[in-house]
Parts: sequence; structure tokens; C-alpha cells
Amino acid sequence: MISEMEEVSEITVGETNMAAWLLGIQTIKIQPYHLPPLGPHDVKICIKALGICGSDVHHFKTMRCANFIVKKPMVLGHECAGIIEEVGSQVKSLQVGDRVALEPGISCQRCSLCRDGRYNLCREMKFSGSPPNNGSLANKVVHPANLCFKLPDNVSLEEGAMCEPLSVGVHACRRAKIGPDTNVLIIGAGPIGLVTLLAARAFGAPRIVIVDVDDYRLSMAKELGADEIVIVSTNIKDVGEEVVKIQNVMVSRIDVSFDCVGFNKTMSTALSATGAGGKVCLIGLARTELTVPLTSATVREIDVVGIFRYRNTWPLCIELLSTGKIDVKPLITHRFQFSQKGIEDAFQTSAGGGNAIKVMFNM
Amino acid sequence: MGKGGNSHEEEEENMAAWLVGLNTLKIQPFKLPPLGPHDVRVRMKAVGICGSDVHYLKTLRCADFVVKEPMVIGHECAGIIEEVGSEVKHLVPGDRVALEPGISCWRCDLCKDGRYNLCPEMKFFATPPVHGSLAHQVVHPADLCFKLPDNVSLEEGAMCEPLSVGVHACRRANVGPETNVLVMGAGPIGLVTMLAARAFGAPRIVIVDVDDNRLSVAKNLGADGIIKVSTNIQDVPEEVERICKEMEARVDVCFDCAGFNKTMTTALSATRAGGKVCLVGMGHNEMTVPLTPAAAREVDVIGIFRYRNTWPLCIEFIRSGKIDVKPLITHRFGFSQKEVEEAFETSAGGGSAIKVMFNL
Repeated sequence: MISEMEEVSEITVGETNMAAWLLGIQTIKIQPYHLPPLGPHDVKICIKALGICGSDVHHFKTMRCANFIVKKPMVLGHECAGIIEEVGSQVKSLQVGDRVALEPGISCQRCSLCRDGRYNLCREMKFSGSPPNNGSLANKVVHPANLCFKLPDNVSLEEGAMCEPLSVGVHACRRAKIGPDTNVLIIGAGPIGLVTLLAARAFGAPRIVIVDVDDYRLSMAKELGADEIVIVSTNIKDVGEEVVKIQNVMVSRIDVSFDCVGFNKTMSTALSATGAGGKVCLIGLARTELTVPLTSATVREIDVVGIFRYRNTWPLCIELLSTGKIDVKPLITHRFQFSQKGIEDAFQTSAGGGNAIKVMFNM
Repeated sequence: MGKGGNSHEEEEENMAAWLVGLNTLKIQPFKLPPLGPHDVRVRMKAVGICGSDVHYLKTLRCADFVVKEPMVIGHECAGIIEEVGSEVKHLVPGDRVALEPGISCWRCDLCKDGRYNLCPEMKFFATPPVHGSLAHQVVHPADLCFKLPDNVSLEEGAMCEPLSVGVHACRRANVGPETNVLVMGAGPIGLVTMLAARAFGAPRIVIVDVDDNRLSVAKNLGADGIIKVSTNIQDVPEEVERICKEMEARVDVCFDCAGFNKTMTTALSATRAGGKVCLVGMGHNEMTVPLTPAAAREVDVIGIFRYRNTWPLCIEFIRSGKIDVKPLITHRFGFSQKEVEEAFETSAGGGSAIKVMFNL
């Protein structure tokens, strides 16, 4: 365990801002969180809804995620929405009382990637809940106003928090150029596979097949509108047979495959099942090295498109939710309060997977 | 195996170099199909040897294509029109032409979409079971024969085929005045890719290889930087550092013209966030590569298969002098049994042999 912080009473008392701090492996504690002063372009937000992401669970279980290592206590969480409590002196677009969804990552806006609009790849990115940056599972946070997006009346704060995972699906659909011509295969029916399903449908994909090892998740996918579902194994020897099944069920050629898992088997399936000239989007970042039949895919001019988080997706997500083109509410399967017991139960539930899709805090 | 011939059929019997068995080529008669209304008959003058031709000679297969019966070898070619079909308007006998090898179906969705190189019914010279063009004469669709300007030689015409691979790769990777390019491998494909990248405006090109001789050829052809690398995958991080230093800027596009785990690993690691890696070389089918960290930096892997709609541009590049392919032709042979055998041995030997060319 890394340096302990002073124990205080669990629930917020008076005006002390409290947050859920990751102190060590599987150790989270609600403790005071002193906010930075409000800059002229910042706002202070009362967080009302926050979802748990697989990466939060990963930090919780292992104190790291890929090359990001938790070296000191860190506030968890980044999928959130809340109500504006205070605005900085230069903020014109928002006012106190506004309901907003937050885009977590603060990029430098100076480097060539940022200036080129690909700010999600900024090397100086400060991303909430990614060490060493504190997250937003707290009573309040301070955040740049231009990363807070106002929610229409018919979009709830929980749906606002869902904009973050939904953004991954939206960004992937943009990079893969999903449209009325593209038949889509989605590998993995977890939260990311499901938001990708919703996004692909909203982008006009005519036919969507989704596969997973878990029946419950597949039935959820069917309810959410997948045209076909296929149960698959974890055995890489089954790839050949599963590809045939998938192609038969799609009927038409597979134009784009989204691997929302990121294992050898899932990428091999994607590369083999996708039609010549198609794309495979690697969204799931499970393993570093992958052993895959890359050459036989590239000789059919299949491109592998990498996906990292998202950029410029909140306005579109909010629009898709507001018009009803996308309904994310069924993905929220479990709700918890912001208390010591609440956060512990919530993380255990999320980590357990299975029928827990999105675990949401209501604060 | 092998076919006998009737030696007094015409004034001159058409002969070709047949792959009749493992490591066995024989010059034997090659009976041509009748000339269709949209076909032309071409007298071959220059034919280059490709790595795939050598692969078929040595193993009777290339990826999933297997040589099951005798097949004429060769596909990089140019020649002179001897006869034109009844509907052919744009070519006349005497015209000097370069040939695009692959005949696609023109009916399937991929063809209709312009991506005809991916046509599942593609009939490609010297990809079994289709006969190649290392012959005195071949019959070919007229719209796959491209007229050469006076200042483009027949050898340069034959070079349009390998050059097309480089041109197609540069198009797919969007090479332009802002893209710094890294090329893995300074063999024939690496070199034509480098020439194409320069012609597309790439400001800075670094090329790497394990072979000093090939690197010096690359330098002479205009590489901004050359780096000698090893075959040891442990050396990747150090080599990536050296590459980035030599580039003096970020690597925007990397062409892997070798296609091994090591070269792809280097490519994926060296290319900047948001950049592209083109897998041109076909080494092994299954590859073990750090695909995920690359995907997490949105480095895309672009697949390349042969080319499409590249001959006019290749011919223009050569005509205008933007590209000079002549230095790539390192060895020349005539069309006889002995020379055919020697030519393939030379090409198979690699090393200082870049492009081995037949003059017929």
C-alpha cells in the first residue's frame, strides 16, 4: 500500500470536498479532496452521476493500466456528469445550475497533433483517473469549461455520464467510416462492444452481427438491436469454424470488424472474417503483443485501424441521445451511492463482469 | 512433365520459359490462344524477374497459390505490338507497350468499385494456373497494354510493374510533401517504394536494411538516410532510436517491404502517433507484433496487394525523369535455356542482384 492519508469520516460533512481515493491494490477510501483554485476558463461541477470503466477496475486491481502506474494516491473515475456550481471569470458559455457532461482529457492544444485536431493522441494529455491525474469520483471537481457540454432537458445526468463510453464507439465508427453501406461485425458484447453496436446502428450500418462467449451479454446485445448474435469460444482452434458461422450469419460481406476485446483469437477472427478491402478496428487493448495472421489479411488489403479514446465526440453523443437515436439507459445495470460501502460494493460488482454492464454512482 | 511441340507449324514457333518442376525451367513451345476482338498480340522484348517468380521456381508455390501443372513464368514485361484484335482502336502494330499483368473479371463488386486488384477471379501472369509472359509472344487484353513514349525504353516499360507496387503503396498511405517516410528493406521493392515516395513529394526518406551493398544503392538512388540493422529482434528499441535520430523528424509513414516480425515491430514502434504502417512485403503469414500499443497510438496498418490503375502514372514518372529506374537493372540475360537458368540463379542469389532483366 502506498502512503496512507489521514482517516476522516466517510460521508461529506459541511464543505469538505470528498473523493474516492485509490490507495493500494483493491483499496479505495473516501477521503478529502482539495480542489485547485478556479482558473478564468474553468468551472466547478457538483458531480451527480459517474460510471465505472474497465480501466478504473484495472487500476483498482493492479495499480496500473498498460504503462500508466499509480505511484501515489489517486482519485478514481472519469465517466461523469454534474451540475455547474461556479464559473471562472472568462467563462461565457456556461452558468451556475447548468447540467453538463464532462470530457475527461485535457490536452495541451499546442503540439502538432493537437493543432491537427488529433488531440486524443497528445503526449501531454492529462486524463482524469489516469495516473498521475486525479479522477472525478468526488463531490466536486474543477474542469475546463470547454470540456463541459450542456445537456438538453431530456437527457439525464446518468445519460450524460454515459457519453464517455459511448464516445469510444462513436470515435471508432468515425475512424472506420461506418455508414449505410457497411456491414459490421463486433467482437465482444461488454460495455464497449455494446456502445459500439449502438453507435454503428446510429451511423446507419445496415447489418450488425455481434459475438461473445457469454449468453447474457449476447441477449442484451439482441435486445439492443443486433441483427444476429453468435456465441463463440475462447479456444483459438475454433477460429476457422467460427469465421464460417459468422460469415453465414452476416450473409453479405463483412466490411468492418470491431475487436472490442483485443486477444489473439479475437483479432485473428476479425482479420479472417473481414472481406477484402475492409477494415478491422482494434479497440480492446488487452494484450501488448498479438500473434495474428496479419499477412493473409493485408494481402486482401484489410487495414487495421487503431482506436484510442475519442476526440470531438460529446456534441454528437448528446445529439444522438437527445433525439433518441441511441438509448444507453439499458446499459446501466447497477447503481450505488457514494459511501465507503457503496464504492467498495460498486467496484466489486463491476470487476465481477457477467451481468454487470455499466455500474453507475448516483451522488 | 513438359509439352512437346510441332516444329514446322509456322515460320516461327512461339517459345516460352516453362516451370516444369522444382528448380526446373525449360524453354518449350507455348501455343497462344486465338486473338479476341479486344486483344493484342505482343512480341516480348524485356522481362524482369520478380521475387515471386523465384519463389515458384524454388518451391512450386507462393502463399496459397500452388503450381500443379507446367506454367510459363514471368510477369514484369514490355514489348512491341504485332497484331491487334478487330475492336482495338488505341493501339497499332509497331507500338511499344508495357503490360499490366492481371486480368480481372470487371463484373464483381470489387471491380465495379475500382478495387480490381482484389478481384477473386483475377487471372495474373505466372500466378498458377495462369501462364506468364517470359515468352517470344503473348496475347493480352489491349486495355492492359500501355503505350510507351519515345524516351521510355522497353526495359523501363518492364520496370513499371515493380514500380507499380511502390506507387500503389504511396497512394494508399497518402504520401505527400508532408510525410516523412521510413522504408524497411532495400531490395527491389524497398527501392521502388523509395523512388515512388520521392516522386510523391516525401520530404525525407530513411531506408534500412541488413545489407551494406543494398544500402549504398539506396543512397545513390537518393535516400536521405541509410541505416544498417540486424536480424535480431532484441535490437529493435535501439534501432528505433537510431532511425528517429536519422530522420530528424517524426516518421509519418513506414513501408515494411520485408514483412517479418522484426521489421513490423520496428515499423509499429518507430512510426509516430496517428501515422501509418504499410505492410508491403509478404514474409510470414502469422506475425507476432506489438499491435496493441500501436493501435493505442492510432498507428494504422495498411494492407497492400499488387496495384491498381498505376501504369499511366508510372510511365509519366519515367518519361518526365521524376523517377529513374535504370540503376535497378543490375543484370541482363538473353532468352536461351542456359541464360534462363543463370538468370534465375542470379536473381535467387540476392545480394548485388537487384533486378535481373531478360532482353528478348
